[in-house]
This record gives sequence, C-alpha cells and structure tokens, in this order.
Amino acid sequence: MTMADGWQIIQGNLDAFLAAAGVTVQVAVFGLAIGFAGGVLLALSRISSFKPLSWLATIYIEIIRGTPLLIQIFFIYFGFGAISPLLNFNALTAGILALGLNSAAYQAEIIRGGIESVPKGQMEAARSIGMTRMQAMRHVILPQSFRLMIPAMTNEMVTLIKDTSLVSTITVVELTFVGKQLTSRYLEAVPILGFVALIYLVMTFATSRAMRYLEHKYRIPGYGEEE
Amino acid sequence: MSQEEMIRAVNIHKSFKGHEVLKGIDLSISKQEVVCIIGPSGSGKSTFLRCLNRITEPDEGEVLFEGKSIMGPEVDIDEVRSHMVMVFQSYNLFLHLTAKKNIMLALEQVRGMEKDEADARALDALRRVGLDGKADAYPGQLSGGQQQRVAIARAIAMEPKMVMFDEPTSALDPELTYEVLDVMKKLAYGGMTMVVVTHEMAFARDVADRVVFMDQGVIVEEGDPNIIFTNPQNERTRQFLKRVLQDEPGPPPA
Repeated sequence: MTMADGWQIIQGNLDAFLAAAGVTVQVAVFGLAIGFAGGVLLALSRISSFKPLSWLATIYIEIIRGTPLLIQIFFIYFGFGAISPLLNFNALTAGILALGLNSAAYQAEIIRGGIESVPKGQMEAARSIGMTRMQAMRHVILPQSFRLMIPAMTNEMVTLIKDTSLVSTITVVELTFVGKQLTSRYLEAVPILGFVALIYLVMTFATSRAMRYLEHKYRIPGYGEEE
Repeated sequence: MSQEEMIRAVNIHKSFKGHEVLKGIDLSISKQEVVCIIGPSGSGKSTFLRCLNRITEPDEGEVLFEGKSIMGPEVDIDEVRSHMVMVFQSYNLFLHLTAKKNIMLALEQVRGMEKDEADARALDALRRVGLDGKADAYPGQLSGGQQQRVAIARAIAMEPKMVMFDEPTSALDPELTYEVLDVMKKLAYGGMTMVVVTHEMAFARDVADRVVFMDQGVIVEEGDPNIIFTNPQNERTRQFLKRVLQDEPGPPPA
C-alpha cells in the first residue's frame, strides 16, 4: 500500500465522498436551524415569568443534556414509530430531528446566558424612557446578547457538525457511513478515514473562521474595553 | 416655578425581602420646581425615585402625575414614563449604539418619529450638552462624564415634562462631575422640572428650590436649601450635614 494507492481509492470514490459530504452538510444545517428556532423558544420560556412554562423548558433542557445523544437518535428513529405511525420517520429526517432537538437545549442555554449577561441597567434605561418590554428586547437586549453569544455558538456549531457522524448508526448515508463502507470494501482504513476526517476538519474550520469574521464585523467599538 | 402640581407621591411603601426601605413617603413637586433629595446611603432615596415611574413597583401608595393616578392596569405606563424620563448613576447608555443612535432609538420607537426628524433632534440635544462632536462615538469610547451628558441628552430629546436624576455624578471621577452638574444647572435654569437624588451638597444648595432629607425610609425634613443647610431643625439632618459638609471643598453656605 503506497500513498498513490490510497489516493487512487479516494479519487475513484470522489463522487461518493462528495455526495456524503452533502448529506452531512444538510444534516448539520437543518439541525442547527431547528436547534436555533427551538433554542430561542426554550430560552424565552426559561426566562418567562410564567412559572409552568419556565419549568417545562428547564425539564426539557435537563433531560436532553443529561442523556446521550446516541440514545436520543435511536429513540427518535426506533422509538417514535412505536408511539404513533405518524412519527415513523425515515433515517435522514429522524437524524436531523434528533440533532435539532438536542442542539435546541444547548442553544437555549447559550441564548439565555447571552440575554442575562447584558447589564440589567440596559433594560431599565429602555423601560424608563418609555419603551415596551418587547421593544426593549428587540432593539436593546437581543442585539447586544447575539454579539455576546457568538463564541459559545461557534462551539455549539462545531460540536454539532462533528456529532452528525452519529446518524451513520441509523443508516443515514453521510460521511462517516460512507467512510466505514469504503473501509470495509478496500480494507484501507488510514487513507479513507483520514480523508473523511479531513473533510470534517474543513467544515469545522470554515465555520469557526466565518463566525470569527462575524464577531469582528459586529464588534462594538469600546465594548468591554472599559476598566 | 409655578404652583401647579407636576407629580405627587402618596404614602409610598416598599419592602425588599422583609426589610422596609420606604415607610410611607408623601411628596408633591410643582411644575418647574427643582427638588434635591439628600440623605445617607440606604435611606431609600433611590428606591423612592424609582417608585415614581414604577420601575420599582411600590407595595403600597399612589403616584399622581399631572393629577392623574399612574397606578392602575388601565394606565399606559410606557407613555407616562416617556414624559418623566430618568438619568441613572451608571449612565446606562445602550452600549451597542452610537451617542446619536442612543438618542434616536426612543424618538423613533416611542415618539414614532421619522428617521430624519429624530436625527436632527438628536444632534440638537447633543449640541445642548456640548457633545455634537461625539455623535458617532460609542459609549465605550466616551469618558464617564461624556456618557452621562449623552444620557442627559437622550432624556431631554424626549422633551419630557420632568427629568429624574438618580445620583448622576456618583460614579464619576471628581474632576468630571462639574461638566455634568453644569449641564444639569442649565437645564434647571431653563425651567425643567427636576427631581435629583444626589450627594452633591453644593449643587443642592445652589440649584434646588427645595431640599428633602431622607433617612431610614422616611422624609425627616424638607424645605428651602438656605434653611436646611444653615439651620436644620432635626437632629438627624444636622448630624448628616455635619458629616458630609466636612469633606466638601468650596465656600461655606451663604
């Protein structure tokens, strides 16, 4: 086995790799989107003054964060169908849903943390000049908290991209699945899995660079630089 | 100063965690009057100020603004607050907005102004506090004194009927307080109704129409600053003034 042999296997299966990478991106993007929408709802529920809503959100977040993602994926793919035929999802849908519902719990905590790290005086100043709670949230609190959230959100995005490999266990034909398949066909783990890992690395690196750019672009001059 | 009443607080009570901070405060302020509230830390003066616009909800009592109660559920408290704006000890400028945008936000959101009009109004307000050159600076790029002047500009741009100041110079380095006090003086001489919680005794003496001394949740004494500062009637007032006037530089009371 030479470098050239390994390269030949990769070249010969490039289409399969690219298609699989496409599926990985699809799972990651939809998972993050569901996670963000769910995260905003959960975060607002948690800080709501309506206690039952706050409790429900807390319970959901604790269950998701306290159990393995792999079990959650299995639960949605194998378990939900048993509850109701309507919840009988195909592998891709189940995988996206599981990652999204999982990420929602983590993003909720990031968003809540972001909102709560905006100084209390900001809301007071907005309210005392006559803005409604909604106006204050929208124009004063959220714009500041989204900036504060960027580093933690970057972590969550990178984690989720890597966690998409878990949906290979429920037969979603994404990168890890294809990597395993080709490895058992050619019995050449190093070049194949190495290439798979490289593709993940490109995705996570591009994501963190893009987020770094956003952080820089939306940096507030003088913010956090006071003594 | 006119005799017409701007705001009246009736029997305001407030407790935090079983500790009674305000034990029944009554105070009436006339239009164009400047009232300074002084007193030791923990006397409840800031809490009382915050009860006036219900940023802190009083447990008991009533506030009447221009003769109308602002307590009931039918009251549009946001509308009321936009006419009696507040300036805070820690400035509380919106940190993600420039000085000008800080002023424009409420003009657009609360007053429903068009952008151009709000822009012109904001610049005019900045000019009045001497900071039109800093329109595009962010709060983090301004000194404490400048931030507080922007906060005052943000307040007066609303053309409020009254401005409440909550220890506006307490967070400032001594050499920066005068620029803020200067702006406040101008505002007072321009006829603005002002309630000022302050530790600046010289300001209270020079600018206030009336000084209110609070201690342990009650108004102990109130009256003309010349009388309060030279001949306080109550022993607690005397003790307090003796303590604070000792470390105060400047001329003795006239």
